[in-house]
Amino acid sequence: MVKKEFSFNQAVSEIEKILQEIESGEMDVDRLSVEVKRASELIRQCQKKLKSTEEEINAIFKDLA
Amino acid sequence: MNEKLSLTELQLIIKDSLYIALPDMYWVIAEISEIKENYNGHCYLELVEKHQDEINIRSRVKAVIWSSRFRFLKSFFENATGESLREGLKILVRVKIEYHEIYGLSLVIHDIDPSFTLGEMALKRQQILKKLEAEGVLTMNKDLDFPMVPQRIAVISSRNAAGYTDFMKHLTGNNYGYVFYIALIETPMQGNETEAGVIKALEKIAGHLEKFDVAVIIRGGGSQTDLSWFDNYKIAYYITQFPLPVITGIGHEKDLSVTDIVAYQSLKTPTAVADYLIECMIIAENHLIGMSKEIIDRSLLILEEIKIRTDSARLKLIPVARTMISGFKEELSGIIIDMINTGKEYIMRAGLFPANHKSRLISGTRSHLSVNSSSLTGRKQSLASHSRSFLNNTNNKVAVLENSLKILDPENVLKRGYTITSLDGKIIKKRVQLKKDDMINTRFSDGSVSSKVV
Repeated sequence: MVKKEFSFNQAVSEIEKILQEIESGEMDVDRLSVEVKRASELIRQCQKKLKSTEEEINAIFKDLA
Repeated sequence: MNEKLSLTELQLIIKDSLYIALPDMYWVIAEISEIKENYNGHCYLELVEKHQDEINIRSRVKAVIWSSRFRFLKSFFENATGESLREGLKILVRVKIEYHEIYGLSLVIHDIDPSFTLGEMALKRQQILKKLEAEGVLTMNKDLDFPMVPQRIAVISSRNAAGYTDFMKHLTGNNYGYVFYIALIETPMQGNETEAGVIKALEKIAGHLEKFDVAVIIRGGGSQTDLSWFDNYKIAYYITQFPLPVITGIGHEKDLSVTDIVAYQSLKTPTAVADYLIECMIIAENHLIGMSKEIIDRSLLILEEIKIRTDSARLKLIPVARTMISGFKEELSGIIIDMINTGKEYIMRAGLFPANHKSRLISGTRSHLSVNSSSLTGRKQSLASHSRSFLNNTNNKVAVLENSLKILDPENVLKRGYTITSLDGKIIKKRVQLKKDDMINTRFSDGSVSSKVV
């Protein structure tokens, strides 16, 4: 099973896009709440990527060295 | 030539002749082709001069630095150049020619000029850099995009190098809780095998590119910090062509090697490389935190704006509400008129009911009395009077009610100056019930008029 790899860069550009849209002020309350929810989920995933170990990568790296 | 000499005598003649012919010290340029320090601290070398092809040897001679001198010259040279005396290095040395009856000719080195070696190394470095520039590859690694999160790191080093241990300790023990994945590809970091080893390691990494964010070349600490192993055209060229950013921490205080110069980023020590990577992660996290804060602030601002808009809408609504209320009032007055009419009807019925009730009561009482004759006369009287007072009472109430209703009677309302507008017999309570060209009837207290809506 190939898990789709989470891309930090992609997540960050998506968050940046959401922020831009919010800044443009062209967002109604319903969309705002959806987008804020999405952004907070992406931020959570990014934080996780920075600070929690993925055993999968550890295993691959053991084989490489 | 009849005189026969012993070998020793001959050697001594050579020795003396050389001494007389070459009494001074000479500054000589040469390349070290062999060097070793023996157990008692003397340093034995073989010096050569090569042809222009840099391969074939034009001349060769043995040389020595006596231990008393070597201790000083060694550290003097290393401090000045950052290089240890080693084979392949070009040196300028001040020598005395000596001849020994057993060991033959050798140059005794008394002094060394490190600036010559530095110049030579700089020259070699310049030549490599010029070549890379001419090939248009010099800055190719620097031109790569650096990953936002350099988390998966391929390290080229030797496991036992102090630098690698420092690097690992620093990186994995970072204060921020960042996770790094490190794969060490071991290779000699100095000596003749450096070139082939480093290239092989880079090739190995290139075979698993998608698994890495960045490659790091480190070696460490120690006194052996020969930079010139990394003034190497092949290593440098390979790095310029490498698809991942390369960071070097080769551990040289004074100079940059060609490898450092072509790398994406060069740092002085392995610890500095670890700091650099941690710093990248801090920047990435700060960017996240910044965006997160900005999103919250902006969203709160938008919500605040919406609240203000709602409030102002509420204020605007008050006059609208007033108009609506006056509309309701009109509607209500219509309803009241309806109610009055209905009320009148009830009152009429109420008026009939007591009369009907009275006659029934009287006849009922009568028949009752005829059955129960005299004994009940008293009761009959009182009953009659009670009935009468009850009826009177009822009648009075009805009168009061009638009176008060009169005031509300539409007729009376009309008399007070109000009119009733109707369309096809239906009372009009709202403007919207009418349209252009409707024929409406307006009822005054003394009659009606018809008019057309324009």
